[in-house]
Amino acid sequence: MATWLRELRERLLRAGVAPRHVRRYLTELREHWSDLTAEEERAGRNRAEAETLALARLGRLDDLARIMIERPELRSWTARAPWVVLGTGPVLGLAAGWGMALLILWSGWTWFLGGSQTPFVPVHGFAIAYFGVGRMLYYTAPLLTGWGMILLAGRQRVRAVWPVILGALVVALLGATGAVDVRPPVVPGDTGDVGIRFFPPASQLADAAGHALLLFVLVTLPYLVWRWRSSRSDFEPQ
Amino acid sequence: MAPNAPGIIIRTPLEGKMFLLYLELRGTMVEMTSRETNPNFMNGVPELLVLRLLEDAEMYGYEIVQAIRDRTDAVIVVGEGVVYPALHSLERAGALKSRRKTVAGRSRIYYSMKPAGSRRLADLAAQWTSLAGAIQKTLAGGQHGNVVA
Repeated sequence: MATWLRELRERLLRAGVAPRHVRRYLTELREHWSDLTAEEERAGRNRAEAETLALARLGRLDDLARIMIERPELRSWTARAPWVVLGTGPVLGLAAGWGMALLILWSGWTWFLGGSQTPFVPVHGFAIAYFGVGRMLYYTAPLLTGWGMILLAGRQRVRAVWPVILGALVVALLGATGAVDVRPPVVPGDTGDVGIRFFPPASQLADAAGHALLLFVLVTLPYLVWRWRSSRSDFEPQ
Repeated sequence: MAPNAPGIIIRTPLEGKMFLLYLELRGTMVEMTSRETNPNFMNGVPELLVLRLLEDAEMYGYEIVQAIRDRTDAVIVVGEGVVYPALHSLERAGALKSRRKTVAGRSRIYYSMKPAGSRRLADLAAQWTSLAGAIQKTLAGGQHGNVVA
């Protein structure tokens, strides 16, 4: 990618323009620049001259950035309301991931273990893979949700640290304190209920705290690396 | 004049000044500069021109800019990069739709009109026809009050 396009991308993202609009804008400008360069070359200019003239016709970097930034409708929700997006996003993401895991657990209990008092019994054949998918989803959901939030913040070049910390804390606390709650069937032969409870018994508080700390570190680590790398970057907007 | 500055460049000095005066009086233009380009002024004009062109055919950005230059005999020259934010906003407002097409190895994003775009074009066209009429009247020595009403 040309330096001017890279610089424009950083400016737009930092100003809050939605990444999808930035990506498309850069594609369009790059193609337009190529068209203008070809036009100037057809007029008899050499490649270097043609590229310079084409860039001048396209507009100054400041103007290309400003006209995009001035349109509030093109801003992303992450930029408009980082606290809301990064604070509630993980909750919704975790709810979706765990909801899917619970659905797999409950349906597997119904299909493979009809009449059993609990789904946590030895299984065989295809049931191993079926319950395995649900188990993997359950254990990885907090981490994937947290990394998704970090990706969202990174894509938008969110400079504010606290919304990200809040999101990571939410993920860590929910992920560490949530546990699958299984209630056996009331009527023999039926399937029981599955759910999530968030209050670990006192005896497990230390474990939950350790789990929360681990999740928090794992979730924030990529963000810290990104911040460190961007602070060391030689790239300076003009 | 800055020939490469983005935005609308109106090549007839008197008409340009009249438009700028109109915008200043309406409070649309924040600051008056000696240049005949105006970022705020751009907000409406590229949209009007783009919608009118896309009413006839599906186009991509470069084609749109060339078409504006050709159809206005280069009287109005749009800063080449400024059409894209307008296109994005119009699409977001539901006036346009876009599709990506690869042509001879080049990635083109084509825009075409939606029914809401036709309605918007009719509104904008009526607004600008009225404005042009008012300016024409002013130039001919008519009433001034209508221009800023």
